[in-house]
Amino acid sequence: MKRIWVSLVIALSATMFMMWQNGAFAEKTKDAAPAQAATAADQRTVAPDAGASPTILIDKTSLSNGGTITVTGAAPAGKPVYIEVWSDDKVRVSRFDAEVDKETGKRPYILYMTDEMPAYYKIFMPKDRKETLDGIKKEGNNWSVSKALKDLGADIAYSAPTKARIDRYQATLMGSIIGSRGDLLPQMDEKESKKRSMQLIKARFRAPDKVLSADVEVNPDGTFKAALKIREGLAPGKYSIVAVVDKGVKSQPLTFDNKIEFPNMYLNNAGTSLNLIWPFLLTLAISIFGVLMGAGGGFILNPLLVSIWPLPHTVVAGTVMPTVLFSQASGIYNYSKIKFINWKLGITIGMGMVVGGFIGPKLTELITLDQYKFVFGWILIILAGLMFWQTTPGYLDKNKKEQSILKEFRRRAEETIKAKGK
Amino acid sequence: MIVEFWGHEFKINIFFGVLGGFVIAIVSSMFGFGGGPFMTPLMAVGLGLPMYLVVGSSLLAIFFNTLMGTMRHYQFGNFDLTFFLIMFPAAIIGGFIAPQIAKRISPIMVKRVAVLGLLILALNLLGLY
Repeated sequence: MKRIWVSLVIALSATMFMMWQNGAFAEKTKDAAPAQAATAADQRTVAPDAGASPTILIDKTSLSNGGTITVTGAAPAGKPVYIEVWSDDKVRVSRFDAEVDKETGKRPYILYMTDEMPAYYKIFMPKDRKETLDGIKKEGNNWSVSKALKDLGADIAYSAPTKARIDRYQATLMGSIIGSRGDLLPQMDEKESKKRSMQLIKARFRAPDKVLSADVEVNPDGTFKAALKIREGLAPGKYSIVAVVDKGVKSQPLTFDNKIEFPNMYLNNAGTSLNLIWPFLLTLAISIFGVLMGAGGGFILNPLLVSIWPLPHTVVAGTVMPTVLFSQASGIYNYSKIKFINWKLGITIGMGMVVGGFIGPKLTELITLDQYKFVFGWILIILAGLMFWQTTPGYLDKNKKEQSILKEFRRRAEETIKAKGK
Repeated sequence: MIVEFWGHEFKINIFFGVLGGFVIAIVSSMFGFGGGPFMTPLMAVGLGLPMYLVVGSSLLAIFFNTLMGTMRHYQFGNFDLTFFLIMFPAAIIGGFIAPQIAKRISPIMVKRVAVLGLLILALNLLGLY
């Protein structure tokens, strides 16, 4: 009974901490944003001359966990209008390049990594690009960001992610064994950096419809209008909007604010906001089932988490793992009380495992989400086989005998503890 | 190596045990699950130890892996505190509710349901349906 109270206190204090971290107790900042829209409204709405920068207006400056924001403006007549939107909030993305280089025929084994990828990035383009875009969506997982941007003519608008600083590391076999990222290579030039940032865009956003959309209605006189749907579950904070008509010909950036309020929470490392009630219930249900079936909940929890929410597999693996630390430690304590641990055996095998645990997390970074899911699928099949074996009559028979020995030992152990207590 | 437990002695091939533990630890820390369901058969079948010895000692071995894996994931910036604080209380509460339910249902039934569930999930991950 006491332990239930302890766990409740832990749960409650964790929730309070989260609310505090989310700013639920903080004073709401006064909205100072409308002023910006007003100054923008003073600007002319007539179509500017050819070659001039476009102008834009937005109908609101604040959203609450996504919504629709209407952008109107004027551009030189006859030009396609692209609208680039990105968040101020940055996340980390990495991509391991192990594909055969077409020119040299060698595998480069280079890890590209940036901490400055916008948590949200999207290019909205004229409606007449819809067909081309649908074609790209049909390519499935093989789509390429650079090819898509070129085909859609949207490469002129691609600018915010190019500012991200990308580090690259030359991975070596030895480096992987000792668990280092490899040697830091010199900074790339602008062109190479842009190319790699596009690959990182794909690594972060996965599907074309997350970064590309054809929503801008352009009239013959150059005025345009677009209802930008900003989806749920994004980063809070400032977002910037820029309209682009040609290389370097763009409007002044306008900004809006996306508010995320409790019980929605923003996960800094994952770059995703979600209603925390759902992961809480999912974890609760699966950890109960995990205990009942005698395997850790991580086996079911991890693949579900990466499938249901846009969470990177690195963050899922790195965050689920520590949740079992406490229960393992208390299990060891309970077993040691009744002398059910052979320390020599446990520590010797543990030495092998500690080295494995040193290498494993490094490898998580080197695989893509699809590879993660694929290998996990096979692991689950092996696990299912093992569990099936545990329900076969032969195993159950043997288990029954051992269970009775276990009970006998446990009884004796408890008696010795009692005897000592007296 | 000779392992002594409650007056019984078991002779085991410790090299095999350490190597197996090493491989399981790599996979388990890479994918972020506990290695228990793989460690138990390794020690029970691979090393020929009885179940009552395996349960406690395998937990101790896995704890080393979890501790190291957690530190490394944290070092690489793969740990999300907010997300952890959502899941951690749920896992703890689940650990207290589960034994209450376990008294009322048959463990073999649970395992059979689990086998089915795991297979469905596996096929989904492999993109076969």
